[in-house]
Amino acid sequence: MKNAVRIGILYSTTGPYGGMGRDGRDGAELAIEQVRATHANAIEPVFIDPHADIAAYLEGARSMLRDHGCRHIIGTITSLARKEVIPLVEKHDGLLWYMCPYEGFEANDNVIYTGGCPNQHLLPLFDYLIPRFGRRPYLVGANYVWGWEMNRLARELIEDAGGEVLGERYLPLEETAVERIVLDIEQRRPSFILNNLVGPSSYAFLAAIRALGARDPAFRPENCPVVSCDLQECEIPDIGPGVATGQLCAAAYFDTVATPENTAFKAHVSSRFGPGRRVSSIFASAYASVKLCAEAIIAAGTDDPTAVSRFLSAAPLPTVLGPILISPDTRHAALPFHLGRINDSGGFDIIASQPAIAADPYLTGRRMRLPPQLRIVS
Amino acid sequence: MRETPNFTGWRATILHREDSNTERLTRQLKLIGLHVNVQWEPLDASDLPDIVLVDADQGFDGLLPWSGEHAPCPLVALLGSEAPGRIAWAMEQGVGAIIAKPLASSAVYPALVMALGIHKERKAVIDKMNHLEERVRLRPLVHAAVERIIAVRKVDEELAYTILRNCAMQRRMPMEQVAASILGGAEPLPEAG
Repeated sequence: MKNAVRIGILYSTTGPYGGMGRDGRDGAELAIEQVRATHANAIEPVFIDPHADIAAYLEGARSMLRDHGCRHIIGTITSLARKEVIPLVEKHDGLLWYMCPYEGFEANDNVIYTGGCPNQHLLPLFDYLIPRFGRRPYLVGANYVWGWEMNRLARELIEDAGGEVLGERYLPLEETAVERIVLDIEQRRPSFILNNLVGPSSYAFLAAIRALGARDPAFRPENCPVVSCDLQECEIPDIGPGVATGQLCAAAYFDTVATPENTAFKAHVSSRFGPGRRVSSIFASAYASVKLCAEAIIAAGTDDPTAVSRFLSAAPLPTVLGPILISPDTRHAALPFHLGRINDSGGFDIIASQPAIAADPYLTGRRMRLPPQLRIVS
Repeated sequence: MRETPNFTGWRATILHREDSNTERLTRQLKLIGLHVNVQWEPLDASDLPDIVLVDADQGFDGLLPWSGEHAPCPLVALLGSEAPGRIAWAMEQGVGAIIAKPLASSAVYPALVMALGIHKERKAVIDKMNHLEERVRLRPLVHAAVERIIAVRKVDEELAYTILRNCAMQRRMPMEQVAASILGGAEPLPEAG
């Protein structure tokens, strides 16, 4: 390769999920700096910030693919943005690297999925929760496809378990008026609460549940936890110190994962972004995705998506998320499952883990699923 | 809310000449959990799969072993053409969903779900229609049984009808069936009141 290969980095650093976007962008940037340092500027980033505007995502992706000659785009946080960008990526025969947990039911040849689908987060989460807290949850969610589909699956899991969903409510992305929902929860007294709200509405909800728990111990996290599959370390300061302590979250990575690779990785993050910076799963996945992308391009000697994909499916590659192998069929990464409990210092204590789970985006194996084999670590 | 359709273990037959579309389609169907067979010859009526995906661009009469719009399994058309004749052919076969060619993998699962839903709905409508037709056909029996009750029990028509209906409700049988039993002598004439 004579010229540097351009890689598009498409994240919104402002708007309702700006915190996640900043983590994605920073993770990608750190990986690019490292690759450029060791491989003589083999890759060159093209950063575009759509500021949570869907039309700007399309414009940005088009500009990357057509004007900048990118064949790889790392980015998008929401499913809405991903679905908008995919047709363009297909048209230009590029590859979109999507690295957020999402609701599944997708397997596109022009996408690499490194963030996890429900059999990698929601299903093992419910396997943990139902025997410990009961099967009468309350479901809340952001009023778009993530919230709708996650809650629909949750309802099926609960019905399969012979339980009952006590309520299901939705809020628009930036809505913070959660009082009526919390009042309803107080009256219905669920076993646990599945929180698929995003950004400020999620933070307002967690604060209101904290206040409810202070009045009524039945709603403290040890009795009725608020659980989610997408809460990030970078959001905990926005929720407020101590507000979400004790609540649970499923993820493929937490800042607190105790591996030598993660210790080394966090040292790099600290020296680049300052010692206080906590790493979220989005930061780590974006970092791992750029590293994998660059490694594959360098090894294949081309940024051709077919050659890159073949390399990613040939053998597991070491990453900060553990060894990653991309399934040639589903295009998804097999990912570990960790269950984290928010602690007072703004991080997650890992309370249960499962080794890498192969992605099953269409849940073909749900009816023949093996009993869970969770390793309880605390 | 409808349950997530699960196609795990289903048998799909793709009636299409093998090409890049069938390759992509096969890959996606397997991913969704189906067993896939690709052929370009008429389907064997004695060994039907669970779902059929047919090339509506090249499809010919007799490729599918049924006639009319009553397909015995969910049917999906693979269609590149916009020619009205080809669309009409697909509809005549009983297609419930269309996947446009060149095939986008994201079109496959929605088409399966749609075709399955349409197939179930059509089947339910046909079953209901058969049931209602049967009842309409047997309506003269009800009338004859009412006439018999009027004659024997010396009651008016309204009361005779009530007697017959109560008798059917007690036995948990359709009125037509009770009427036929009474007229055939298999059932004693119900008591008045």
